[in-house]
Amino acid sequence: MKLRKLTALFMSAMMAATMMTGFTASADEGEYSDDEIVTYTMFATMAGSELNDDNEIMDIIAHKLGVRVKETWLTGQTAEEAIGTIIASGDYPDFIDGGDGSKTLYEQDVLVPWDDYLEKYPNLKEMYTDEEWDQFRQDDGHIYWANVFQNTYGEPKTTMHNDEAFWIQARVLEWAGYPEIKTLDQYFDLLESYYEANPTMEDGTPIIPYTVLCEDWKYYCIENAPQFLDGYPNDGSVIVDKTDPSAPKIVDYNTTETAVRYFKKLNEEYAKGMIDGEFATQTYDEYIAKLCTGTVLGLCDQWWDFGYDTNDSFKTQGLDLIGCNYVPLGLTIDEGMDNRWHTYGDTLNVASGVAVTTSCDDPDRAFKFLNDVLDQEIHDLRFWGVEGVDYLVDEDGMYYRTAEMRMQAADSNYQASHLCQYSYLPQWGGTSRDGKNAMMPSDQASEFLDGLAEPLRNCLEAYGAGGYPDMIGSVIEENPPWFPMWSFSNNLSTETPGGVAWTKMREVKQEWLPQVVMSDDFEGTWEQYMEAYNDVNPQDFLDEMQEELNRRAGIE
Amino acid sequence: MKRTKMKTKWPDKLFVVCNTLFMIAFVVITLYPVLNTVAISFNDGMDAVRGGIHLWPRKFVLKNYETVLHQQNMITGAYISVARTVIGTLLALVANALLAYVVSRKRFLFRSQLSLFWVITMYVNGGLIPVLLVYRSLGLTNSFWVYVIPGMISAFNMLVLRTYMEGLPESLAESAQIDGAGDFTIFSRIISPLCKPVYATVALFVAVGQWNSWFDAMIYNRMRSEYTTLQYELMKLLSSVMQQSGSANSMAAAGQGAATVTPVSVRAAATVVTMLPIICLYPFLQRYFVTGLTIGGVKE
Amino acid sequence: MKRKAKTKAARVPITWKEVKRQKFLIICSLIFVIYGIIFYYVPLGGWIMAFENYKPKTGLLGSKFVGLDKFKFLFSDATFIRVIRNTLAMGVLNLVATFVMAILFAILLNEIRFGFGKKLVQTISYMPHFLSWIIVTGILHDALSNSGIVNELLLNFGFVDRAVNFFANKSFFWPIVAFANVWKETGWNAIIYLAAITSIDPSLYEAAAIDGAGRWAKIKHITLPGIKPTIMILLLMNVGNVLNAGFEVQYLLGNGLVKRVSDTIDIYVLTWGISQNDYSLGTAAGIFKSLVAIILIVVANQIAKRSGEQRLF
Repeated sequence: MKLRKLTALFMSAMMAATMMTGFTASADEGEYSDDEIVTYTMFATMAGSELNDDNEIMDIIAHKLGVRVKETWLTGQTAEEAIGTIIASGDYPDFIDGGDGSKTLYEQDVLVPWDDYLEKYPNLKEMYTDEEWDQFRQDDGHIYWANVFQNTYGEPKTTMHNDEAFWIQARVLEWAGYPEIKTLDQYFDLLESYYEANPTMEDGTPIIPYTVLCEDWKYYCIENAPQFLDGYPNDGSVIVDKTDPSAPKIVDYNTTETAVRYFKKLNEEYAKGMIDGEFATQTYDEYIAKLCTGTVLGLCDQWWDFGYDTNDSFKTQGLDLIGCNYVPLGLTIDEGMDNRWHTYGDTLNVASGVAVTTSCDDPDRAFKFLNDVLDQEIHDLRFWGVEGVDYLVDEDGMYYRTAEMRMQAADSNYQASHLCQYSYLPQWGGTSRDGKNAMMPSDQASEFLDGLAEPLRNCLEAYGAGGYPDMIGSVIEENPPWFPMWSFSNNLSTETPGGVAWTKMREVKQEWLPQVVMSDDFEGTWEQYMEAYNDVNPQDFLDEMQEELNRRAGIE
Repeated sequence: MKRTKMKTKWPDKLFVVCNTLFMIAFVVITLYPVLNTVAISFNDGMDAVRGGIHLWPRKFVLKNYETVLHQQNMITGAYISVARTVIGTLLALVANALLAYVVSRKRFLFRSQLSLFWVITMYVNGGLIPVLLVYRSLGLTNSFWVYVIPGMISAFNMLVLRTYMEGLPESLAESAQIDGAGDFTIFSRIISPLCKPVYATVALFVAVGQWNSWFDAMIYNRMRSEYTTLQYELMKLLSSVMQQSGSANSMAAAGQGAATVTPVSVRAAATVVTMLPIICLYPFLQRYFVTGLTIGGVKE
Repeated sequence: MKRKAKTKAARVPITWKEVKRQKFLIICSLIFVIYGIIFYYVPLGGWIMAFENYKPKTGLLGSKFVGLDKFKFLFSDATFIRVIRNTLAMGVLNLVATFVMAILFAILLNEIRFGFGKKLVQTISYMPHFLSWIIVTGILHDALSNSGIVNELLLNFGFVDRAVNFFANKSFFWPIVAFANVWKETGWNAIIYLAAITSIDPSLYEAAAIDGAGRWAKIKHITLPGIKPTIMILLLMNVGNVLNAGFEVQYLLGNGLVKRVSDTIDIYVLTWGISQNDYSLGTAAGIFKSLVAIILIVVANQIAKRSGEQRLF
């Protein structure tokens, strides 16, 4: 420990020195001179931060690889709209990630096929297996893009659960002596007994035992729990029943027995005053504000939607020290069922990814660059930063960051002027080629544990969990070839009856589900809801899903 | 107007009292959102998320403004924004005023048809992509001129100007005509000087529109950062902050007690930054329509 | 009546001599018409999208022609009819509320004799125009929440004994939207009227004062008639805009419980068109809105013409 502190001290002195001399020195060491460096443009159909033109790591990479990429991001448009306007304007960037509009770009014949370059550049080839690459092939048999996310090198390292779960504050579990909570009923029983014993925070603010967001598309928080409670993974729009492995079947989770039981439970809890009275009308901002006060004991949501905000806010207010942080639970409707809240393994999304356009005057150089940014040295530069400045290496060769370094890395000005992730270019998750470190700092175990407050660490320990996925305890299994089905339902259009039904189902559910929960007469309201639901022909949608499922499962 | 001469009657007194009260209530209610925005712009982002900030920041920081002003291309953006506001406003004012003059001439043969032609443009819209195709074929994309040429004439502004011009005493133009003045002279020498208040109004409308627009910068000059505008840069910043807030990185920063920014706090700072120039510009235009211009004098 | 007679007299027959005399006006109009055709009318070619299944790949001219299918889809959907109702209701409510408030505010502001106060009030009044809807609706949501200031006041004064959940109640939604519009735009919309008031001859007020007219009388007989042409023109223009009740406010203030009354045509088009990449449907709805707007203004213009008021064309 002492040694580590000493090295840190030494390093920070070094760092100060480097900062004073600036980065020109290291930049000059590269193999390319300023005149040889070309600048490519890139557009990604996602929101993101632009880097400064004189970004330091971008400069280092440019001198090493001879290419600099100027990224532009999506602003105030959907991916399809943006791609539509780019096509109409005829001005294409050199690299593009078309997102939902990728297919449109392909149909427009403006993308360069990867096939020849895959043979030439091993790092690119290495990204996927041949079978996986085949999934990227379009109807003309060529590969035009590669998805850069969810691709694990070696051992997975993740300690986070980014997806959906029923979450509960660590202090509630601690208060109850860390019981096993496996079912929805147990979950609400625990909330009830805690709430009875502690109706307010220490300062007298009333506690809200449970809230749930219903705003716009984020109403998934309330609507899709039945699929998980039945033990199925997040196929998004439907359950895939594979009791007969040779003939998987689409099941509508909105009408299952479990769905009725789940909403009945919510209805009862609402009547008892356990559920936030404003849950149906709160906006996302209000929801986050509420969670950040630490008064909400439990909720159902995906981690990325609230977790970073609550963790931030709890830390600044010291609420993490009294155990307000949320931990996920892998609930099912009955005891003794498997759960699949956490999906192990990568979800291959072949619908979009980075592509090179025909506007690029030297595609070979572009592909070589895509290959080279996967070199471990460059990869470390992109995600860890400059050694000695952005991270340190201990005697075992493990990377770590000091508190100051973490803080610096979080500063948006520093990100723009110094860090250069090229976050939509090929990259790896998992374990570094050195076999020790994580490819990404966020996956490094020490980075995760260092950030945890005492109560949270105690809680994980009490359950013998090394991270959030262990808390949930989902089944570890290979993803079936059709997973996830949402990649199909997300792209339905009004041209088919199924697509029309899909949009209308959503409208009906948004309108009725809050009413079902708030109703004095659950059975009556549920019946009315089902009537409205069946009026929009959900079967049309289910039939199209079944058809797609059969196609993906290879059934005639 | 000399008030001393007039006897103030009690209904008038009551009126003044009520009116003053109304104005005070009005000011309070309209000032609140503005002051609230200013307060949030000076407050730490993460702290503001908890809500409960009204007129004064709870945790004072300058970080939001730093973030806004550090945005890349801010200088270019500001420069282009000022340029398009000045050039765009001048062009639009001249064009709309001239068109309004033409359709305000009672003798003009195609007066009604020309008005209808423009009125229709207010209610029809070809859609983003067809418009883009037209601009592209005219060579307007990837240039500065796409900001000022296409939107130059707006039927709304033209009608506001026309109405005002029609309200002017006809005798003015007639007597000038008898003196042998042509239409252009009448427009520039007789009508325009009298139209200052309405010119100021239209100039304000156009200038605010120009200053605030960002969508055109993105659509028509997506890859040309030299034609970016201030508002587009701010929009980019906002969407990037929105994406970033809630990353493992910002978590670390908050944990160390560093100032943090959120979409809400950055939006507040960006709003203040863009509002300021307009508020500064306003008094110069305001004198044309608050104090009231005496055109009665010209009448004699 | 006097004005009506005048317009009739001004009808000039088209003669060669008259054309020559108006050559400046005609040349100007020609230039403006060419400009208008290029920038406003040529892009209307895009309306063809409404009659085909537009795909970027095949483009405007190559996409599959589907006739009136998109329109049939719109009008066979019960939701769309409901959405038209909502849009009309909110459009009319907003129009009336913002219109009356802006005129009222302009007139009352004009009555303030204290110059500095007048300028200050005006400057403040138009500031909310620069706040984005997301900021305004955020504050409104705060104020109207269960623990917000409005409920606090209602509870303290004993008007209610339980906090009112304003956003869960369908009947509150339209008034809330109208209020939000008034709040944001009154000062801004008043600018036009303030400019119009300046064109009123001050000697009229002086004469009225000598006749012993009070404030109300002056407003009624001088100020209001003085800005009437402006009021009429803006009214006519806005009549065509009733179907443009917008989507941002409704989207930001709405929720599942009030969906039946909050969804507008624009939201409908967004749900169906954008999220499903159906450009054609959006275009069809746009054409429908344009046609309604044009019919409305032509009718309104005729009425104005009949009654001898200011008209658009």
